[in-house]
Amino acid sequence: MNHEKKIPLIRLAKRDGMEGWKVWCIRFGSIVFALLLGALVMALAGASPVTAYGTMISGALGKKSAIRQTVKIAVPLLGCALAIAPCFKMRFWNIGAEGQITAGAIAASYFALFWAGRLPSPVLLVVMGVSGAIAGGVWALIPAFFKARWNTNETLFTLMMNYIVIGVVRWLQGGPWEGRKGSQIIPQFDSAACLPRVLGVHCGWIIVLVLVVFMHVYMNHTKHGYEIAVIGDSVNTARYAGMNVGRVMMRTMFLSGAISGIVGFIVASGANNTLYDGVAGGVGFTSITVAWLSQLNAFAMVAISMLLAVLSKGAETLQTRMAVPTSISDIITGILLFCMLGCEFFINYKLIFRKNSHKEAAKS
Amino acid sequence: MKKFLAILLSLVMVLSLAACGGGSDQPSPTTDKPAENQPADDQGGGAPETKTVKVGLICIGDENDQGYTYNFIRGKEAATEALAAKGIDVDWVVKWNIAENSGCEDANIELADDGCQLIINNSFGFEDHMLKVVDDYPEVEFIACTNQGSWNDGRDNTHNAFANIYEGRYLAGVVAGMKLQQMIDEGEITADQAVIGYVGAFSFAEVISGFTAYFLGARSVCPSVTMKVQFVGSWSDATEEANAASALADMGCVMISQHSDNTTPATTAEAKGVFHTGYNNDMISVAPGASLIGTRINWAPYFEYAIEAVANGESFDQDWCHGMDMGAVVMTDLNEDIAAPGTAEKLAEVEAKIRSGELQVFDTSTFTIEGKALESAFALDTDGDFTPDSEEAVFDGAFHESYFQSAPYFALSIDGIEWLNSAF
Repeated sequence: MNHEKKIPLIRLAKRDGMEGWKVWCIRFGSIVFALLLGALVMALAGASPVTAYGTMISGALGKKSAIRQTVKIAVPLLGCALAIAPCFKMRFWNIGAEGQITAGAIAASYFALFWAGRLPSPVLLVVMGVSGAIAGGVWALIPAFFKARWNTNETLFTLMMNYIVIGVVRWLQGGPWEGRKGSQIIPQFDSAACLPRVLGVHCGWIIVLVLVVFMHVYMNHTKHGYEIAVIGDSVNTARYAGMNVGRVMMRTMFLSGAISGIVGFIVASGANNTLYDGVAGGVGFTSITVAWLSQLNAFAMVAISMLLAVLSKGAETLQTRMAVPTSISDIITGILLFCMLGCEFFINYKLIFRKNSHKEAAKS
Repeated sequence: MKKFLAILLSLVMVLSLAACGGGSDQPSPTTDKPAENQPADDQGGGAPETKTVKVGLICIGDENDQGYTYNFIRGKEAATEALAAKGIDVDWVVKWNIAENSGCEDANIELADDGCQLIINNSFGFEDHMLKVVDDYPEVEFIACTNQGSWNDGRDNTHNAFANIYEGRYLAGVVAGMKLQQMIDEGEITADQAVIGYVGAFSFAEVISGFTAYFLGARSVCPSVTMKVQFVGSWSDATEEANAASALADMGCVMISQHSDNTTPATTAEAKGVFHTGYNNDMISVAPGASLIGTRINWAPYFEYAIEAVANGESFDQDWCHGMDMGAVVMTDLNEDIAAPGTAEKLAEVEAKIRSGELQVFDTSTFTIEGKALESAFALDTDGDFTPDSEEAVFDGAFHESYFQSAPYFALSIDGIEWLNSAF
């Protein structure tokens, strides 16, 4: 019996290509499992799970006004997930989208606040968008430059950059751009600087949908996209193939930051109509989950960001109608993300349980 | 493959089990339903015995803050009780921890969609976002507490409200001044050592108006008093507030007061052996040896007034501001153990004078600005540049605070008060 102890109870083995339908069954199963766990949490909080889930769905999608709000939540998530996808594909861990969004929002807000009377609305909006993209891109380019030049740690670098730019907004809020003295609030933008609404939601949703197509083409059908994929697989292979890795990194990060910057412009101009230090509001981090859950597939991101938006909006309604604390729904969202990401593990690896001693003995 | 199917099967079974389990819970929501439907029923019915009003309340924090939002919740509960006695049931829907961004807009939409007839926004920064929603729901009344843009925006369903908190500040100042005068009289400190340290959030009109009233109250009973103000740059930052109070005590301030949300200035004052007067909440329990008294806005009278009007289908003031006359400003308990003798009597006397109008808090004969008496100051900003430009606030020998609009507009720096930092 002694020799059996050497074999652990569970072993892991890499799985070779699983059939597609099985993969989707596992993914679907994990969502069901997460919803069941979530039901348990709700039951503990004293709400009937069936009614609660019903409330969440009807709260998020049951009415026109509800759908509009849900879409409004999904827009920055989707846009930002698109932004970080090429970085992650390249295995460049950009967790500074939060700061890049904020940088873009600052630049857009500058034009919104000080150029509103001088330019016609469409021109002003384009200027705001372009300046937002440049500001976000430059903000992202800084860590990329250091990475390319001195191989600094991009995770820490991009993260730290967030706090700097958010500090800048705080200063603007209390200082030069402050509205009523001491209020710490930047005045609402002139209506010329606010994104017009299409079907009841600011037209940022159209911009991000265009970006979805752009990103799909860029990643899959361009030389740039190919270079990103090669670097992601192996930097050495890329070098051997004669690619200038540093240059590709900086180019990709600029693009990533620019898209984040556009998201910042959309949020400031479309949703809040003003700038404040929470303009990114955690989107830069949540969108990492969106990107991973979608396997960096641009079209899947549309679905995943909508799913998260439905959960988020549904949670608000849950609190309104059933007095369930919103933190409960945060827990449910967490469980869901955990299960969905966790199931990828079971798709890539299989568990081998130790056979019982009879069989083990027979084999030997 | 077989194993896989087995897992799939078991998953389906668990799922169906859960569905059954969910079914057994269903009675509970159905019991909730009549309550939700009531407001609609009542509106249709003629004149029922009890009326139900569905009211939404959007809060920047939650009641655990023991300060700003907690104070609204106290008002909500007291108003509910008072209205119940008048045969009005209030069905509250409260949104907690809403940020001052488009999330506030969403919260207003959500409450309006949920059938609220009255929606109260409790934070200054909510107003801009609330105003984006109000036109879509003309039948719903919206209130932006403490702000100033709604009442004169040309709409009928938007409101502002505040309280004359400067009256309470003045009284708290009287308590502090009497304590300081007692210390001078007993030789504990010299006359010029009577220095008050004030922890302020921002150099915002509401804060400036508050600490000026407080200072004038103190000086009315202790002529030699001076004051230093330290701004912390946050409405609620327990550590920074404690640091500011500590720094002020080290600079020689023997009395600390505050316009910020936490109780840390009180506990710091206690640790430093100086005295304290509070805001929003009774702080005697956390600093029994330092806290003399506190003042707070009591939102109950306003909530009661507004909700009753909605219940009866009447219109109500678009800009509401009252003080001690309606109990909208109240003092917390006086700490008799450490307060100067005769404080309670003096308080009652001054309060009576404020109520009768005999005493004006911002009496222009009691303060100077750069050595000169204040002769003119505007109250309202009409062109949107955030500088007051209309309505003369100085007349009949006093600056009339909260007279032309509910939100405070006294933002002048008077002699005797030193601003240590005005960066915020």
